Amino acid sequence: MIAPDAIAAAESGLLELRGLVKRFGGVTAVNALDMTVRSGDIHALIGPNGSGKTTTLNVISALYRSDGGSIRFDGAELSGRPSHVIAKLGIARTFQNIRLFGDLSVLENVMIGRHVRTRVGFIGALNPVGATAREERETRERALELLHFVGLGDVAAASGRSLPYGDQRRVEIARALASEPRLLLLDEPAAGMNPAETDTLVTLLRRIRDNGTTLLLIEHDMNLVMSISDRITVLNFGQHIAEGPPAEVARNADVITAYLGGTLDAA
Amino acid sequence: MPQFDLVANTQLLVSGLAIGSIYALVALGFVLIYNAVGVVNFAQGEFVMFPSYVAATFLLPAVTVFGAVVHWQLPLVAVYLLVIVVMVGFGLLFNRIAYYPLRDRGWLPVVISTIGVSIFLRNAAQLVWGSQPLVIPGLFPVDTVTVGPLHIRPQDLAIIGVTSLLIAFQYVLFERTTLGKQMRATAQDRATARLIGVRVGRIVAITFVYSALLGTISGLLVAPLFTVTKEMGALIALKAFAASIVGGFGSIPGAIVGGLAIGVVETFGGFYISSAYTDAIAFVILIAVLLVKPSGLFGERVAEKA
Amino acid sequence: MTAANSPRARGALAVALLVVVVALVPAFVHSDYVLNLCGVAGIYAIAVMGLGILLGFTGQMSLAQAAFFGIGAYTSGWFTVNLGWPVWPAMGLAVVLSALVGLAVVYPCLRLSGHYLALATIGFGIITQLVLINWKSVTNGSDGMTGIPAPQIGSFAFDTYGRYYYVVLVALLVCAYIAWRIKTTRVGRALEAIRENEIAARATGIDATRYKIIAFVLAGAYAGLAGSLLAHDTKFLSPDSYSFDQSVVFLVMLVVGGSSSIGGAILGAVLLTFLPEVLRPLKTSYIMVYGAAVVVMVIFMPRGLAGLLTVLRARFVRGAPPGSGVAIPVAPGVEPA
Repeated sequence: MIAPDAIAAAESGLLELRGLVKRFGGVTAVNALDMTVRSGDIHALIGPNGSGKTTTLNVISALYRSDGGSIRFDGAELSGRPSHVIAKLGIARTFQNIRLFGDLSVLENVMIGRHVRTRVGFIGALNPVGATAREERETRERALELLHFVGLGDVAAASGRSLPYGDQRRVEIARALASEPRLLLLDEPAAGMNPAETDTLVTLLRRIRDNGTTLLLIEHDMNLVMSISDRITVLNFGQHIAEGPPAEVARNADVITAYLGGTLDAA
Repeated sequence: MPQFDLVANTQLLVSGLAIGSIYALVALGFVLIYNAVGVVNFAQGEFVMFPSYVAATFLLPAVTVFGAVVHWQLPLVAVYLLVIVVMVGFGLLFNRIAYYPLRDRGWLPVVISTIGVSIFLRNAAQLVWGSQPLVIPGLFPVDTVTVGPLHIRPQDLAIIGVTSLLIAFQYVLFERTTLGKQMRATAQDRATARLIGVRVGRIVAITFVYSALLGTISGLLVAPLFTVTKEMGALIALKAFAASIVGGFGSIPGAIVGGLAIGVVETFGGFYISSAYTDAIAFVILIAVLLVKPSGLFGERVAEKA
Repeated sequence: MTAANSPRARGALAVALLVVVVALVPAFVHSDYVLNLCGVAGIYAIAVMGLGILLGFTGQMSLAQAAFFGIGAYTSGWFTVNLGWPVWPAMGLAVVLSALVGLAVVYPCLRLSGHYLALATIGFGIITQLVLINWKSVTNGSDGMTGIPAPQIGSFAFDTYGRYYYVVLVALLVCAYIAWRIKTTRVGRALEAIRENEIAARATGIDATRYKIIAFVLAGAYAGLAGSLLAHDTKFLSPDSYSFDQSVVFLVMLVVGGSSSIGGAILGAVLLTFLPEVLRPLKTSYIMVYGAAVVVMVIFMPRGLAGLLTVLRARFVRGAPPGSGVAIPVAPGVEPA
């Protein structure tokens, strides 16, 4: 006899939104949203412009404070906690408008990503050798590894700002990975990429997932979404109108209506 | 319980509104530039000081310029026109040198640049006109008039009057004229304004000129109350900046109300509490506002996009 | 491991050599006037370094350094003159008190950014100066505080400019070491992340609030130490020195020297302490030159002189390590307040 708890645990997600609400003045951007992201999935969040996708991501990562509802990550309630705590709990993200530390080197950008997994503080910094030096070295090495993983090992010394757009996106991903997240939020990672770059991105995202990180991504590129996702949540007017595997979602009448004839059957 | 002294308080009120009007005008200058280009102009005080010196050069029978005594006295109206022309040029030059080369670099470089211009102008003034304060005569033959039991300075009334006219003028400008609407559009959203055909560069330059003229009028009004020195603009500008934040940074009515409020509170506070700490009052108010409601009286919070 | 001939080892050697040369100055220079100027330059360098941690590293504007400069000076002065404290503990107290005041000031300012923060610091600075001028029972107001003693070790008093030079030098080296360690480790990276993009920094797990507090308190402590050092150097204090204009001077020194480089802070302070003396014949115009220089620097050399030197070094010295010589945020991505 399988215990009810175990069944519940198997079906509950790594990330669960229940009744999430976010208002801006008179506009309700996220309207009692329910969403479940299962551990190990590549989960896409799609919907027409203005449906609340980025806002949802922003509320999860605490850029905005929610106005109601709950966000549970691995059972723990996230709402009300500040961004840096959420990062420490294991959620990392990239941004729609790339937010690199422009004047710092690419390597330093990724090293900063290690912040939550390292400890040296003000007092420790004063010591030039010993544990501090060791952690410095490890941080640098790990960051370099991640840069190689995303294919940017040879531009470690360049400044973040000097890279082409697509490469900056990859640095952002490397920086996010540096914190060893269990859940990686990606806001339109393929935006502005040509087909070749998108293919590289797809390969990268699959490798990240295969290494044990769950992905939640917002995307407009339907080919990408249909080919890579294990599950899709479709948003419209801040609520979910469908959630499930791609094939199921593509057949959903509400979804088709919402997109007014968008091509969902590309895969 | 002391009697409410109507005479004294009315006099204080008039004084307070007068200096408050100056703060309001200078604060308006700040806010217009901030709305147009997103930066605070730390040289706003020199927009007040510099025209005062220029005016003094042509209003006084004898002035020291570069060490030599000159007699360039002109009739009042001619001087005002001359100063306006000079300050239009000043505004354009300021835009070109201090702002334009840095327009894409974020707010901090521009702030530092305006601080540099401020230092430059203050000491240029000393170089040109020496360190002796200059005294400009007021618009009126007498310093105070007696209205019943009240002793009022006509200059104060002139300040309040001119400021009111100017605010009315600005209202008409912004609400009714194309130029004004373009200025408002640029202030709200430069990218969109550009898309609908507003020549943003030109509007920005005009905004600087307008702001310089506001400073000019403030300077011409306030100079007879104090003396013309290279530092005269500095404290006024800081308090005006405080006023614009108290009123709600970016808000035009806020700048006006904030300026008047600080002028009045400062004047009453200086009289009833302590004259030594008069200058601190504006900043105490500022800090209180920053702690309680940083968006000020009329300000709005701006949400940030990811 | 750093090889003996690696760029990092060569850099360390260059710094060591520089320190030795600087330490030997009083052996060759006997003019009191010049030695005094060197001491003052070093003192200013400490205050500017503090501002560099706050503004250069963390991107938080403060125009209140002069206020902490004054608090440190008067604390040290008052405890030695009125309570007879020996100088060293009084200096320590000056640093602690400045740090505590910095902590008290920063808390309410944490929600502010950019212009709001700048203005709050200006307001604090003006209020502080007014207090120093008007709290006559403690500070003696505009008449100034006199009779401030020189520090001593046993019976050896640091009461000549030559001897005091070493007091300042040691303090400067300690402060520079701390700043360097901050810059090159996790804390410094966190501060720079906040400067570059605070939202991304927070999302990456950096408690921006806490780090801004640390930066602010450090800036206050550095300025307090500098003020205290100046008090026991000049042995006289006047509240007129602790004005908004003085805070601006510190800012100019930082901008000219190079805002996120420790060497830049020192360079700016030294240059702008000596330059006025060199340009003394041009009495009034030299300050004008300051102002013009700031505008020119910000437009054409945002990384300051230190940045210029880094570029030159990279061009002429093979294998120079890539500098992340950052400066005043130069990016279009910087959000206005």
